[in-house]
Amino acid sequence: MTVLSEMLRNLVSRPATTLYPAEKVPVPAGFRGRVECDDERCIGCSKCSLVCPASAITMVDSPREVEFRGKTMMRKKKPRVAVYRCIRCGLCERHCPADAIHLRSVLSITGTDREEVLA
Amino acid sequence: MTRVVVPIGPQHPALKEPLNFRVIADGERIVELELNLSYSHRGIEKAAEQRDFIRALPLIERVCGICSHSHSTVFSMGIEEIMGVEVPPRAQYIRTVIAELERMHSHMLWLGVAAHEVGFNTLFMWTWRDREAVLDTLEELSGNRIHYNMNEIGGVRVDLSPPQVDAALARIPVLEERMRAYVAMLEDEETMLARFRGVGTLSREDALRYGAVGPTGRGSGVDYDVRRDDPYLVYDEIPWNVVTDTDGDVYGRTKVRIGEIKESLGIVRYCLEHLPDGPIRVAAPKAAPPGEIYSRYEAPRGEVAHFIRTNGTDRVERVDIRTPTLANWTSVVYSLVGRPLADIPVIVAAIDPCLSCTSRITVLNRGEDARGETSPYTGQAGWFP
Repeated sequence: MTVLSEMLRNLVSRPATTLYPAEKVPVPAGFRGRVECDDERCIGCSKCSLVCPASAITMVDSPREVEFRGKTMMRKKKPRVAVYRCIRCGLCERHCPADAIHLRSVLSITGTDREEVLA
Repeated sequence: MTRVVVPIGPQHPALKEPLNFRVIADGERIVELELNLSYSHRGIEKAAEQRDFIRALPLIERVCGICSHSHSTVFSMGIEEIMGVEVPPRAQYIRTVIAELERMHSHMLWLGVAAHEVGFNTLFMWTWRDREAVLDTLEELSGNRIHYNMNEIGGVRVDLSPPQVDAALARIPVLEERMRAYVAMLEDEETMLARFRGVGTLSREDALRYGAVGPTGRGSGVDYDVRRDDPYLVYDEIPWNVVTDTDGDVYGRTKVRIGEIKESLGIVRYCLEHLPDGPIRVAAPKAAPPGEIYSRYEAPRGEVAHFIRTNGTDRVERVDIRTPTLANWTSVVYSLVGRPLADIPVIVAAIDPCLSCTSRITVLNRGEDARGETSPYTGQAGWFP
């Protein structure tokens, strides 16, 4: 009986699946997607690269002046993230003292940049 | 009497993960069964020894794709106990919420798989549709559907905001109504009754003798649940009941699991409504003092246990993982004997097997049976944890 009523309901109701290209699946606010680093905030402390379980973050030379807790300081390095090695655990974001590295709500499992995919 | 050896697996349409049965059958009946496990050994225990606690937790979480929170919670609870770190109440409640949501989505997944194994694909579609609501809640709360990464040593990684709590609470009545529908189906749906009732019977004595855990044991009347009998997190503070059944067959295990989903809904509602204020974590020391601990947890499939030995550094000296599926295999082998071959998929599915979680060891060079395999690392034959 339950099956019959469900069948009749399904005859008149709209599809259960999301009509993808026309309709996007809503992404919640705290979704852990592609890792991005805010260049203006990063102080180059290497903490993100040390906690990364997948060793996806390497520090590269990038000297510049940054503001940190009201003081101007000279940073030497910044992180480079191999987004296809990243397991999106959020540890870099959690341990960043400068609130510079974040997991954005952008999906990170597709891409066309060969260098980035193979990094 | 002719006896035929039927090899099933490691690659087989009825199995979702690699596993090998050597079934000795007399006609349609199973006379004897030999089980070969561990086709997907990944060396997680050894890998965990080489990472500090912060980096080991996401790895431990990936022991299982379904009970991910179970493994990371049991590991962090063990390390916290060795360190003497007291986790704040709010973090304990958040951990419990995620644990029970995980139990719900695991049992719904199981119900779908079990229905699929008996050819009842309508129920499979329904439960997986409802499971999406639970996964959406988990995604909103933690940022991911499966690997939540909520735990860290000393608390949880992120806090729950009031809108998140409200959104999660709003989904509970819908799921409760669906569970009522499933309970009704259990009573009068012929397909389920015909294929679940009297199949894979395991008496209470046999469940105890073969060490069945979780819904497999509780479905045979073994009134044991780590959450009640060795309480962790906040299970001793909140109202809930252990669900047991005396049928002892696949039908009994189904009733236990649906009952547990209903209990989990109650626990999640209670925890979200009574979420205490306060910090979500305390600062834990980097290194743990030397010690040994046997940490236990009731995962959706049964009791999961981590034996952890620390040596005063920031990483474990040894972690030994006992997953519930390993404890349940012997009961499967026992309950399959005497059954027709066609019962293999449903009886195997009834324990909700998770095979790569169970693969803790790989044996190379088994005496006379040796296939001449040697370790890729040392060039010698032997076994590798």
